[in-house]
Formats: sequence, C-alpha cells, structure tokens
Amino acid sequence: MRTTARKLAVMAAVLPLGLALAACGGGGGSTASGEGGGGDGDNTLTVWAWDPAFNIYALQEAEKVYQQENPDFELDIQEVPWEDVQTRLTTLAQSQETGELPDIFLMQNNAFQKNVLNYPDLFSDLSGSDVDFSEFPESVVAYSTVDGTNYGVPFDNGTAITALRTDVLEQAGYTVDDFTDITWDEFITLGEDVLAKTGQPLLSGQAGSADLPVMMLQSAGASLFDEEGNPTIVDNDALTAAIDTYQRLVETGVLVEVNTWDEYINTLVNDSVAATVNGVWILGSIQSAEDQAGKWAITNVPSLDGVQGATNYTANGGSSWAISSNADVELAQDFLAKTFAGSSELYDTILPGAGALANWIPASESDVYGEPQEFFGGDAIYSKVVGYAEKVPSNNTGAYYYEGRDAVSVAITNIMNGADPKAALEEAQSTVEFAMGS
Amino acid sequence: MAAPLPPRPKVSPLERRKSLTGWAFLLPASLLILWLSFWPMIQAAILSLQTGRGTRLSFAEPLWSNYTRLLEDETFKLTLQNTFIYLVIQVPLMLVMALILANLLNNPNLRFKSMWRTAIFLPSAVGLVSYALVFRTMFANDGLVNDMLMGLGLIDSPVNWLGQTGTARFVLVLGLLWRWTGYNMIFYLAALQTVDRSTIEAAKIDGASSAKAFWYVTVPQLKPMILLTAILSTNGTLQLFDESYALTAGGPANTSMTISHYLYMVSFRNSPNFGYASAISYVILIIVAALAVVQLKVGDKRD
Repeated sequence: MRTTARKLAVMAAVLPLGLALAACGGGGGSTASGEGGGGDGDNTLTVWAWDPAFNIYALQEAEKVYQQENPDFELDIQEVPWEDVQTRLTTLAQSQETGELPDIFLMQNNAFQKNVLNYPDLFSDLSGSDVDFSEFPESVVAYSTVDGTNYGVPFDNGTAITALRTDVLEQAGYTVDDFTDITWDEFITLGEDVLAKTGQPLLSGQAGSADLPVMMLQSAGASLFDEEGNPTIVDNDALTAAIDTYQRLVETGVLVEVNTWDEYINTLVNDSVAATVNGVWILGSIQSAEDQAGKWAITNVPSLDGVQGATNYTANGGSSWAISSNADVELAQDFLAKTFAGSSELYDTILPGAGALANWIPASESDVYGEPQEFFGGDAIYSKVVGYAEKVPSNNTGAYYYEGRDAVSVAITNIMNGADPKAALEEAQSTVEFAMGS
Repeated sequence: MAAPLPPRPKVSPLERRKSLTGWAFLLPASLLILWLSFWPMIQAAILSLQTGRGTRLSFAEPLWSNYTRLLEDETFKLTLQNTFIYLVIQVPLMLVMALILANLLNNPNLRFKSMWRTAIFLPSAVGLVSYALVFRTMFANDGLVNDMLMGLGLIDSPVNWLGQTGTARFVLVLGLLWRWTGYNMIFYLAALQTVDRSTIEAAKIDGASSAKAFWYVTVPQLKPMILLTAILSTNGTLQLFDESYALTAGGPANTSMTISHYLYMVSFRNSPNFGYASAISYVILIIVAALAVVQLKVGDKRD
C-alpha cells in the first residue's frame, strides 16, 4: 500500500514534466531537420502564400514551368493568410527560430521595408541571382529594395485604374474618353452631372481608410515619408490637395462612404455605384458579377490639380516574393529567376487563369496580353494596364509606413468631422514621430 | 535572552508522509505554472525595460523610459479611456442583468425553465470573432438593424452605427452584454441553489416585499459570487481584444479601440516595438491587480 502511494506520487510528479520535456524535444528536433526550408538540397522548396485562386495558383503553374527543366523539383505550398504570415515572421524573428522559416514567402509590398529594416536576419538578399531587376517597373522594385540591395521579386501588380460602368455613363451622355487623362476637379464635375442625371454616385469607399488619398498622393510622386524615412505629413502640398479632393468627393455625393470592405465590394457588384478607383486586382471582384459583363471599361486615374509632378498613374497594394534566411538559396533564386522573373509562358497561363497581371515587363509583349476582353467591352485591358505600370511614380514606404497610413486615416476622419485640416495633420505627424522615437 | 520557543507540535510520521505526498502532487502543476506562466511574465518585465529595433534590443536609458513614454502617448491614453468607458458602463449593467435573470429563473413555479436557461446561456458558446462579425454585419448601413428600424418607421435614413464614436461604442457594449450576461447568470444561478429558501420565506412572513427580500436576504448571501464575477468581468473587459479588432476595427479614428488592440498593433501591425508593448501589457496587469484589490477590500468582509 505504502509503496503504491509513493509510486503514484512519483509518477504524478514525473509524468507531466516528462511530457513537457518530450514536447520540447519534439520542437527542437523538427527545427534541426528543417520543417520549413533549409539548404538540404532535396530539390523541394517550401512556400507561404495566401490566395488559392491567385498567388497559390500562380505558384502551382510556376512549379510546372520549372519542372520542365528539373523534373524532380517540387514545391511545398502552404496556405497562410497575410496577417498570419506577418505574425509568424515577427514571432519567429523575435524568438530567433529562423529554422522554422519556409524557403520563400510572399509579402505585401507595403510591409516589405518594415520587415527588412527590423528583421534583416529573416531574409536572403538577391544580389547573387540571375533576376534582372531592370525588367520590372522601378516603382515596384523600390518596395523591396533597402540600401540598394534587392530583397524581393515583384509578383502581383498594384497599378491603379479607374473602372467605369459604360452603360451608366451613356445614360448621362458620356464615354470613357471623357474620363481619360483628366484631373480630379474635372472628375468631380462629371460625377456631379452623372449623379444628377442618373442618381448614381460614381465612387464608393471605406470610411476611415486612407487608400484613395494615398493613391492620389503617390500619383503626384509624393509620399508620407521622405527618402531618409522621416514623415512628411505636414507641409505636404500633395497630401493637403489629396485630402481636400477626398473631402469634396464626399461632400458632393460623388463618393459614398461605407464602413467595411464587404460593403464596398457590394456597392460594385450590386450596381450602387458607376465606377471605382483602385489597384488593378479589384477587377477580380468586379468580374464576379457576371451579369455586368460588357458593361465595364477601364482607363487611367484622375490627376491632382495644381500639384507639381501630378500624373494619371498610381498604385495600391501588390506583393513580392522573398527568399528566407533559412532557404536553399541557390535553388530558390534559380526558381524565381526562371519563373516569375523570366517565363512568358507562366504569365501567359496565369493571366487568363487568375487575372494575375505581370510586373515583369517582357511578359506584356506576349499576344495574351493584347487579347480583347469580353467583360470589358472587347478592350485589350491588360496591355493597357502594363503600359500604365511603367509610368507609376515611386512611393517611399519605410519601416513606419503603417503608422503613417493609420495616422493619416485618423486625421481624415477627424477632418471629415469638422476638425481643422492643418491641426489634424500636425497631430498625425506627431503621432508618427512619436512612434519613431522609441 | 529570548523567551524559549514554544515546543513544536509533534508531527507523526504518517502525517508527514501525507503532507509530502500532497506536495508531490502539487509540484508538477506548480512547476509547469512557474515555467509556462511566471517565467514569461518575468521575461516580459525585463523586455519592458528594453528598447531597440526588431531583435536588436538593449536596456533603455533611463531604464523606465518605456513607462514614461506611455504618459506622452496620445493613442495609449485614448485606448485606456475607451477601455474604462466599456468597463464602467458594461460590467455593472451586465452583472445587474445577470442577477435579475438568475433570480427569475430560480423561481420554482417558472415553466420551461431549462429552455430559458439554455437560451440565455447559449451566446457564451459562440466564438468571439464569429459573433463580432455577425454584429458587424447586422449593424452595417444596409444591415438588418437599420432595415428593421426603418421598416418600423422609427428612423428615416440609415444610422451609421459603426461610423460614429458614440454608436460604435454602443454596439460594442451591446455585443458584450449579449455574449457575457448568460455566462455570469449561470454563476449566480449556481450560487442561488445554496441560498436556503426558508430564509426568504422567513423574511416574507416578517412582512418584507419580494424586492426587499431579494435585496436584504438573497443578495448578501450571493456576495462572494458577485465579488468573483465582478473581478472576472473587470479582468476580461480590461483585456478586451476580439470585439475591438473584429467588430469596430478600432474605428472611427481609434475611438473604439481597446488597450489590448493597441498592444497588438504595436507588436504586429506597426513597426514592431516589443519593449514598449511589454510596458503596455504591464500597465494592464497593474490596473487589473489594483482593481481586484479594491474590489476585495470593498466586497469581502469576512475578516
């Protein structure tokens, strides 16, 4: 009896500890064997990406292209939503468990600088690779370039477009040409007229989102930060003009504000609005409304009035491939150079398959890009957009880009509620400076 | 010369063995708590004194600079204020409602008792993010709530629930009430089973009304449970994250963002600043601890 009690006590003490240690050992073991990437030369690359219909599909096609040369090559694609990619990267870097990284991961362009500057030990640079960065638009390569070193191969294109409902314009007596190469002032005048004649606003947008003002800002070659990464929110003529334009859009009723992303998409597919200005990836959502086929057209975006360097070209979003510090670097570099930075065949497949538009300029010379698109009234929209992409001015993002955007969003919300624009922007500037002064 | 110590009570070998066995049973769990809970807390305390970019952290100069930094952080002050608004409005409201519901359900003459009980408790089984998303959809400009109010003719044009500070906070508090009232009610219902009915009947025979009997006889007997739920809810509200993140996304202009949501932004969305984030988390810890002490002092009169 006595021994049984003691045995039980000892077991009670030892078992959980044993289990806990076993769990530890398991974790350590998997690190050593390289659960993620690792230069183990087994011809397999692990990749994190987030959209099965878009970037994961593109990876699968890239795998097929690369297998033509390397029959035993394989991709291990893991679906990880972007928010989780960021959380995982931060957690792994902070705990210095870089052994758990995949070989390649996809990263939002807006977050690229932040991650490279904070956690350079997550990345392998691309300086030794065969990727020719002059074959990509400069503004896109800039997102993943830090101190002159390239860390990313641009993937999806965030070039901005104005998408318009030709049937609504027709009712008001306009065509797409009336909206091409115009300024925002002209856009508002046209928009008021369309609203008066058809009762439909042209634009919709998420209240409190800085997307549209920031796109306007970039169209004039301006940013929220200067080249040294200091915030330039106050005394920024382009930003002041952008916020003023946005305010007038809302006040005239040319732009209706909604609260969530879903509501925004609904305004497009439910015929509530007659146009939208966004990254070209928005066409994926627009085309989900099959009953609207043939009723849409695209053109470039309006330019800011009275601002130096104003253009009709800008961008929103987009993403790039990064090679991790835990990668089979040679294989990963070769894979990216021969697929996303070197295969017209790949882009010819994924464009019609997923609407994945190339940043890689040589791809736009292919016939596939020049094919007329039924949904857009038989216009060859893809070669058009690639043409816009080359003209997009660069945007300085830096490590504090999200702080800058959020602070400007807050300022815009306050300005819309009647705050003095100058004071609101000064507050935004000091919020960002505060975040930077840690 | 010190007075001679009183002789220690003799411990029989049997008692000592029992006590050792007890300690042996406690040991593994204690070690796990020390290792998995207290050790990270100590690490966070050390981290909160550090500053730097990414993993390249060094001790701040002066050491407490992350804490003094908090005093100048307007966003932190705003989120702290928001959290306290939720705390002050939601916790008392919820506990009173839970108490009333529990008392109603405890009525022995009530029919379909278990159906009511299940219906009121069921929201607690719903995932936090999923209910937050449902609430967000319901309170959209073209959502169910606006449609209903307009159908009833109570409003002429849709209310922008999530786009205005006051209404956004209201929706968030409403969500919390829906989600957590039933949970607290179950605690009270359990405690009510230990209240001797004869005490209430005695009060009624002495001429007390139902309300008086409830207030002077039932509530004092529930006091330990009220104290427990108050501390649990205070703790929960101060660490509120999901609703702020998924329901209102902190908007408009951060005026519905909670401290924990801000903490997440500082760590994962913005340029990561884990030293500062740890300092914020320690402020939450200190506030929770301080409020718990106050509640214990006010509520627990056992000694």
